[in-house]
Amino acid sequence: MICSHNVGRASARFFRGKHACIQGGLKPALLLALALAPVARADDTFFEKRVAPIFEQKCVACHGEKKQKGKLRLDSFAHLMRGGEAGAVVKAGEPKESELFLRVTLHPEDEDFMPADSKPPLTKDEVKVLELWIAAGASETTPVAAIKGAPAPTAPKAPTLALAPDWRPRAAQIAQLEKVLGVRLVARSLVPTDGLVLRTASAPTRCDDAVLAKLAPVADLIVEAELARTKITDAGLAALAACRNLRTIDLTRTGVTSAGLGKLAMFTKLESINLTSTGVDLATVAQLRAQPGLKRLWAFDTPAEK
Amino acid sequence: MQTSAPPASPDRNLCSDHCGEHPTVWDLPHIPLGLKREWLDLETRRHFLGKGVKALGWAGLATLLGRSAPNLLANSAIPGAPAMVPHYAPKAKRAIYLFMAGSPSQFETWDYKPALADMFDKDLPESVRGGQTLTGMTASQTRFPIAPSIYKFARHGEAGRFISELFPYTAKVSDELCVIKSLHTDAINHEPAILQLTTGNMFPGKPSIGSWLSYGLGAMNEELPTFVVMTSKMPHRTNVQALSNRLWSSGFLSPEHAAVALRSGSDPVLYLNNPKGVESDVRRAMIDGVNDLNRQLFDRVGDPEINARISQYEMAFRMQTSVPELTDFSNEPQSTWDLYGPRAKEPGTFAYNCLMARRLAERGVRFTQIFLRSWDQHSRLPTNIKLMAQDSDQPTYALVTDLKRRGLLDDTVVIWGGEFGRTVYSQGTLTPENYGRDHHPRCFSMWMAGGGVKPGISYGETDDFSYNIVKDPMHIRDLHATILHLFGLDHNKLSFKFQGLDQKLTGVLPTKVIHDLLA
Repeated sequence: MICSHNVGRASARFFRGKHACIQGGLKPALLLALALAPVARADDTFFEKRVAPIFEQKCVACHGEKKQKGKLRLDSFAHLMRGGEAGAVVKAGEPKESELFLRVTLHPEDEDFMPADSKPPLTKDEVKVLELWIAAGASETTPVAAIKGAPAPTAPKAPTLALAPDWRPRAAQIAQLEKVLGVRLVARSLVPTDGLVLRTASAPTRCDDAVLAKLAPVADLIVEAELARTKITDAGLAALAACRNLRTIDLTRTGVTSAGLGKLAMFTKLESINLTSTGVDLATVAQLRAQPGLKRLWAFDTPAEK
Repeated sequence: MQTSAPPASPDRNLCSDHCGEHPTVWDLPHIPLGLKREWLDLETRRHFLGKGVKALGWAGLATLLGRSAPNLLANSAIPGAPAMVPHYAPKAKRAIYLFMAGSPSQFETWDYKPALADMFDKDLPESVRGGQTLTGMTASQTRFPIAPSIYKFARHGEAGRFISELFPYTAKVSDELCVIKSLHTDAINHEPAILQLTTGNMFPGKPSIGSWLSYGLGAMNEELPTFVVMTSKMPHRTNVQALSNRLWSSGFLSPEHAAVALRSGSDPVLYLNNPKGVESDVRRAMIDGVNDLNRQLFDRVGDPEINARISQYEMAFRMQTSVPELTDFSNEPQSTWDLYGPRAKEPGTFAYNCLMARRLAERGVRFTQIFLRSWDQHSRLPTNIKLMAQDSDQPTYALVTDLKRRGLLDDTVVIWGGEFGRTVYSQGTLTPENYGRDHHPRCFSMWMAGGGVKPGISYGETDDFSYNIVKDPMHIRDLHATILHLFGLDHNKLSFKFQGLDQKLTGVLPTKVIHDLLA
């Protein structure tokens, strides 16, 4: 009876996991809220909270309901304990004598290494979790709190946030602006909501305040602005305010001054700003540093650092 | 255009690269004209097929990304074509690879082995060597006496890393470095080993890392080459191996992805300046004329090599303006010379090249590789490694420091290392003051900094003799995959079809990105 009860608990957990996947269409904020919801309860078991998720993520594609390579299933505690075609895979209390543990800790190029076929291996933390759990008796009912020293669970990956709107509908406009203005607007990655890089390195002197003003139709797509050595001045900074998704801006060796930089508070998402060899002063640097969200600021070779 | 006297046949124009350098089928006597024509037909058919397949491929890509086709042709050798897009948002935009050719010993640099001090002149246990085949240089030694490092180590930085006293400057940036002690390679001799490091393969003919990056990501600054190589003056010359351009060639990738080698002195790029009496507008008109002819030929035969040639003429013309500006150090303030040291004023020194690398990084050059040779210390290691360290320590520190203070280290990855490790046992006579070390491929140390690499950590461990790896082995392939990853490229997806295979920098053997190294 105890056994069947346990199977029921484990499969309920897996069902919840699948359920969350089906909800992929949920708004990111809601998904994030789900992912961050507090989970630790007094009756949470180590197996359910820490071990089963590893199997689910790295093993059940080949050892689950659909495929049972080596006649092994790892999609429930009962199946795990039943073992595979060569018998038990877990010896309670003895990780180093447990086939399950040995297989995931072989050299990755060993032909018996699991997961096979260059599928993503277990992380060091995951291996440690398995080792601790087997060493502690490989029980299904041991509570989370009873096994000490387990690496902290990694936070569930937050859904990828859109940094900027999808640029593809405006591809023609982007190409036209590149041609006319002599700047480059490069996709940051194959993810179309990762935004664009405004790139000027080929002809920095061609990029001035007027050019920036003409970028207005695509300003919200720009996530990184590489403006080092350009002719941009304080007036141009005001035009950049339309780049509401800007995360990174490089103003190295430009004519911008504290007067214009004071307005940078407009960029609420700004994370990184390079002011090397500009006229920025100490007060403005302090003001910028106080801006929430700003992680990196460089002001080498400026009045602020002299 | 050609100086040799071609027959009047218009088909003679087929091979624009010929330039009278070597004979073609058309020059061979005693071959019936019919056979020659058949060869021409085949050539054309091959070109046509190549052209057709490529055109289809571009159309597919364009649809996938929703951009107009010309915007995606970075790899198609069309001049001025913009960059390809990384697979995922990159951490690094550029890399500077300080290649310590000849291979510095790990014992005197990064892999501290204090236990060896008590084993001076003891024989290396056979069990450690494990029957390994040695090089011809030490295979006949009757003894393999352990040679502890003559140089002392001390802890540095917040991480408390042990660094050799040979690197007092680099030690100051210890917390920026990620030291890898568990690299291993397949080759035990210089040429295959250095090729494997630079191109992923022991055999020549494969594209180097910089070429793959150029092919995969395109240029950031179209006025300068995407991939630049510099070789450095040596502070002393012992066992110096030749460097050749197969270490920075584009292999089977289009030739514009090969490195431009910057020379020291007044002519950094050979033949770049106009000859006496040729003004810039004349040169421009000439290039326009040649390009026009080449375009006509491309329209007829569709060989991508022709477009590569066009883009190289254009690049050379643009470099006539961009290179003098790049190599003019007169606007560098005194603080630069204080940082890099006085030798940075002398063109061709390692210090000069490090400063040049910073200037290239500022201007958006993706991959700069600086070679410093003469680390191959089979004998007189204590004396010679000191000379090498003295020459390179301050500039290395200066480069990392300079990139950091200018906000460039964030997206520039710096890589330092040789092509393999060296043996714990002495090659030749061992005395308390003098010893040598032979080649050792089973483990060696490198470091990386910046560009999304986790700072201040060490990765991997070797045994007490730094002979075998005991924790976290990292093959050269893994290093390459990790570098590509920093640039937002998946090493399994960055490929080029050649000889029927989807060729990759990392080849076909199992390879992994080392995520523990990523910040």
